[in-house]
Amino acid sequence: MQAANRRKTFGLLAGMGLLTGLVVYAALTYFGSSTVGIVPIAVGIALIGVWGSYYGSDKLVITMTGARQIQENDNPKLFGLIQEVCIASGLPVPKVAIVDDPAPNAFATGRNQDHALIAFTTGILDVMDRDELQGVIAHEMSHVANRDTLVSAVAATTAGAIAILSDILTRMMWFGGGRRERDSNSNPLAIALSLLILILAPIAAVLLKSAISRKRESLADATAVAFTRNPAGLRSALEVLAKDSTVVQQRSTSVAHIWIESPLDGTSVSKLFSTHPPIQERIAALRAMESLS
Amino acid sequence: MKIIIALAVVALIVLFFVAQYNRLIRLNVGVDEAWAQIEVQLKRRSDLIPNLVETVKGYAAHEKTTLDAVISARAKATTASTVADVAAADGMMTQALRGLLAVAEAYPDLKASSNFLSLQEELSTTENKVAFARQFYNDNVRSLNTAVKTVPTNLFAGMAKVSVREFYEVEDAQSRQAPNVKF
Repeated sequence: MQAANRRKTFGLLAGMGLLTGLVVYAALTYFGSSTVGIVPIAVGIALIGVWGSYYGSDKLVITMTGARQIQENDNPKLFGLIQEVCIASGLPVPKVAIVDDPAPNAFATGRNQDHALIAFTTGILDVMDRDELQGVIAHEMSHVANRDTLVSAVAATTAGAIAILSDILTRMMWFGGGRRERDSNSNPLAIALSLLILILAPIAAVLLKSAISRKRESLADATAVAFTRNPAGLRSALEVLAKDSTVVQQRSTSVAHIWIESPLDGTSVSKLFSTHPPIQERIAALRAMESLS
Repeated sequence: MKIIIALAVVALIVLFFVAQYNRLIRLNVGVDEAWAQIEVQLKRRSDLIPNLVETVKGYAAHEKTTLDAVISARAKATTASTVADVAAADGMMTQALRGLLAVAEAYPDLKASSNFLSLQEELSTTENKVAFARQFYNDNVRSLNTAVKTVPTNLFAGMAKVSVREFYEVEDAQSRQAPNVKF
């Protein structure tokens, strides 16, 4: 289960690399070799944007979601549960934050295990019992253990670079009248193909990014069970989340992927663009693990 | 040219040796750390006992046998040192505490007292921590033992002075007992 998810993530990241290669190829055939200089610029812009937020993710997300950090004295019971999962996983105890929101949800962030932060809404602390909360914490700590902030940063960088690149190139087509280079390829098939790639690449990049996010969610569920050896806790927690119709107030798509349950309305977003696998599928997968043990 | 190739091969072999040796040492240290975690959590649980016993005594002083079982389990736990001894004492303590909490069920005043409630929460989280520490230790021991017994790491086990370690197995009388079947 865990190994399969890792392989798939690797495959998807390789797909991202391939896509970037295709875009560069398309740019070269359409505009000629003088456009080579644009590639490092696009990658550079994407790198600065994404890696800045990756490096400071623990602090940035706190301000974006309105979370406030708490200490052990503020909620000894929650800290006890977190310490349990940390002992089970061998990870250091992360920073803990609370989001004042009645909708039950939680997330994890931070560039590595020493800068990890996990946050809970006041809603999730109210509705969940001990075992359910332990499952949720194990899921969030799995994101930390699997370095998902890094994975999603890599995915976001490539998707961003591709978007910037094809944006610049399509603008060049409009304003520059297109192909002025003498050394550019004159095969009409290659040119048509390149145009198609440039137009479709950003959409494909977003699809790949969402697919990676979904795989990491399934992986975190599997890793959580490896930590607690109790699939029933997380399963029942997901059932509580599925039954609950309230949604976290703040609906920014840029931080949607970090919550345990997607804050975006599942029905309005198509499955391919979704950052989370359908919750019923996750529950079914955990049920299958329960019947094994 | 030949010398460079020969040197590269030697360097690769040395690197390989170092990697195997370091892997064994790292696994062994991992087991030590996991063991330390078990001891920390067991100590925490021991420290909760006097307070718990005093609280229960206040409401149910005549439950002497149950209280004595907890106290003697605690005394035994403090003297244990080998893995097997610590595990045995741990199992006894878990058993005795389970008995004490079951007794508490019969005393509504005790169950409702805030002191007991906070002790109960602390006890259940500590009990979970002990269980997870055991699980983590056994996982580490399994990795180490596999490395000590499999090629190529087994060739370096002697040099690294690393050997197979003992699993932490708790004698749980309750789970060992076969269920009573009556016809």
